Amino acid sequence: MNRRQFLGCASTSILYCKPLVAEEPVAFRLGLTPVFLDNDAIVLKHFQSALESILGAAVGFEQRRTYEEVTGLLLSGSVDAAWLCGYPFLQHADVLSILAVPLWNGRPLYQSYLIVGRDDAASALSDLEGATHAFSDPDSNSGYLVTASELARIGRSPETFFRRGIFTYGHRNVVRAVADGLVRSGSVDGYVWEALTTREPQLTKGTRVIWKSEWMGFPPFCARSDRLREATVERLGNALRGIGNSDRGRNALDLLTLDGMAPASPGLFDGIAKRMAEIEAL
Amino acid sequence: MMLPFSTSLSIRVPLIAASLMVLVGVVASRQVLETLTEVQDERVREIAELHFKALSVALGPFVLREDIWEVYDTLDRATQGAEGNRLIFTVVSDETGQVLAATDPRRAPLDSPVAAFFVNAKTLDDLSVAGQASQILLRAPLIFQGRRVGEIVSELNISDLVQERRRATRLLLLGNALATGILAILGYLATRRMLSPITRLAKHMEETTGSPEATPISYVPRGDTELTRLFETYNNMTTAIEHKAEAERRLAERERFVSLGRLSSSLAHEINNPLGGLLNAADTIKEYAERPDVVRSSADLLTRGLRHMKDVTRAILDENRMDRSATPLTAEDLDDVKLLIYPEIRWRVQRLSWTVRLSPGKEREVPAAPTRQILLNLLLNASTAAGEGGEIGLSFSEAEDGTVSLIVSDNGPGISESARRRLLSSEPVAPGGGVGLRLVRDLVKGLSGSIFVDREDGETRIRVDLPAATYGRRCEPC
Repeated sequence: MNRRQFLGCASTSILYCKPLVAEEPVAFRLGLTPVFLDNDAIVLKHFQSALESILGAAVGFEQRRTYEEVTGLLLSGSVDAAWLCGYPFLQHADVLSILAVPLWNGRPLYQSYLIVGRDDAASALSDLEGATHAFSDPDSNSGYLVTASELARIGRSPETFFRRGIFTYGHRNVVRAVADGLVRSGSVDGYVWEALTTREPQLTKGTRVIWKSEWMGFPPFCARSDRLREATVERLGNALRGIGNSDRGRNALDLLTLDGMAPASPGLFDGIAKRMAEIEAL
Repeated sequence: MMLPFSTSLSIRVPLIAASLMVLVGVVASRQVLETLTEVQDERVREIAELHFKALSVALGPFVLREDIWEVYDTLDRATQGAEGNRLIFTVVSDETGQVLAATDPRRAPLDSPVAAFFVNAKTLDDLSVAGQASQILLRAPLIFQGRRVGEIVSELNISDLVQERRRATRLLLLGNALATGILAILGYLATRRMLSPITRLAKHMEETTGSPEATPISYVPRGDTELTRLFETYNNMTTAIEHKAEAERRLAERERFVSLGRLSSSLAHEINNPLGGLLNAADTIKEYAERPDVVRSSADLLTRGLRHMKDVTRAILDENRMDRSATPLTAEDLDDVKLLIYPEIRWRVQRLSWTVRLSPGKEREVPAAPTRQILLNLLLNASTAAGEGGEIGLSFSEAEDGTVSLIVSDNGPGISESARRRLLSSEPVAPGGGVGLRLVRDLVKGLSGSIFVDREDGETRIRVDLPAATYGRRCEPC
């Protein structure tokens, strides 16, 4: 072995040795909104480890307080994919593509619920004029857009209809705000509310659903369209869609009260698009 | 606190000591409880100050942004994380005083005025946990970046502090009661011990009848100068009283001779006056020896004169014979007295009224010697009081039950106050006065009799009643 060969070999060893002492690099980054049970670290941990077992690599979860921040992470490329809501997806439909849509009760659909305190006499949105109201997030379909568009249909806006509207940045927080009496009513994700009835029944017992929206497209996993062909994004998409095929994956889905993941076309979110148009028309 | 005077000193003193202990205990307990309250105030103030500071830091930005959910969520988490359930309730308002959020939104609804909670709320400076309330409402400004951006009102649970004070109060009461009780008992015993010589002295004085007696030497406490002095003074006093009684007794004895002494000159005349007549009778006998009629009449004269002189000397002798005290009073005793007093009456040219009513042949049940002495002294006194040409009298009678009543009267100016005291009371005799009347009193008292003084129509009457039974007792061998 001459001197050049030795140096080459040594440098190669250094390259190979480095990963052995350093932390395992995160191969996949997934952005998460507080769309669902964001307080439940165990559920997320199971979901994360299921993905990691399928992908055979570390998956980093990036959580932010608002939908806007998570959408920003996805658009800037800080994450490879993100679990968004149909509303922000549609806001950026030109640059985003759907990787997978969760199946709830066998369908990629969910509803928005209008809830009030358990003892509140209101039975419809119209009874809540002048009330205090909790929204989840200004970029949430079920937690804002549905109620806002319902008001738009009668020519009103949340700012004028409600005496005060607050954003809690979490569907579970909406349920808490209504149950604790902080506000009189709230707009909440029907899937989250139903999941809470089994997981934290004492919380949902403090609330009552007075109105449910039509079925709409379930919050999808999205990626930037220009990165769809990248191996990372492709592998992540495959892993999400095939998560029901592994035991860990099914376990994680059970904890999330989901049945699986399926591919979907943007047409799934036509209902949301329609409500968006109604607001913009106002 | 007034104690009844009848309560004994050995109870009163420990009671007063115990009362003072209770007073001290109450004052000390009050002090302790006040200090405890102050310490608790300081503790709560510290907790509240930390709480308000932490909330100001945590909530400041949210209040500024009016991020109601974050304010609520932070409050909720702060309450759940708080130790010991100290914080019950917190409400936060914006700078306009509208409620942003509260740990119990139903109690303080969104946008309601926070001023509703100011009514009973205290600031940190006037915080006090005194009283029985188990909650306290506190308010503080929400300062963020040096600016007042809102208000915080918190309700603190201080039931544990109230409990702590109650427990301390109970312990203090118990401790004080115990300490006071023990000290009162110790005080009682100590005082009793200290007062025992006095108690013994009082008992000794109670038990003594007649003239006071000195205490035994073993009664005198050692080492206590005040009490020792008291005992010594008492014992000296009893000795002095004894000496005085002895002196009085001797004085009374002498008085008997004094009264005779007063009579001696008149009695000498009484004997001397007939002597001339008797000598003449003797000369007549010598001269007319041959005339039997003259001799017989002169001898009769001699016999009468000598018999009179014999009577006078016998009366004097009888007056001085002490052994007559046991013999009962007879009519002859009264005649003796009259015989003895008569020269004094005559010398003073006085009139004597002599009324003696005695049941004939009946023995008197009063002793002769003291009665004669009483009569002689009273009559001499009356004679002196009546003065030249005055009138004196004796009325002597006896009742059915044998009580002898004698009344000595005179028309003098009346009995003086000092003489009346000598006669009627046992007060010490004023120096300078005679002891004759005091002797009368002592003799009458010795016979269980009574003396009455009375003045009517310019006449002083001294009545002496002597009961019959006395004589019977006096007859007992002694």
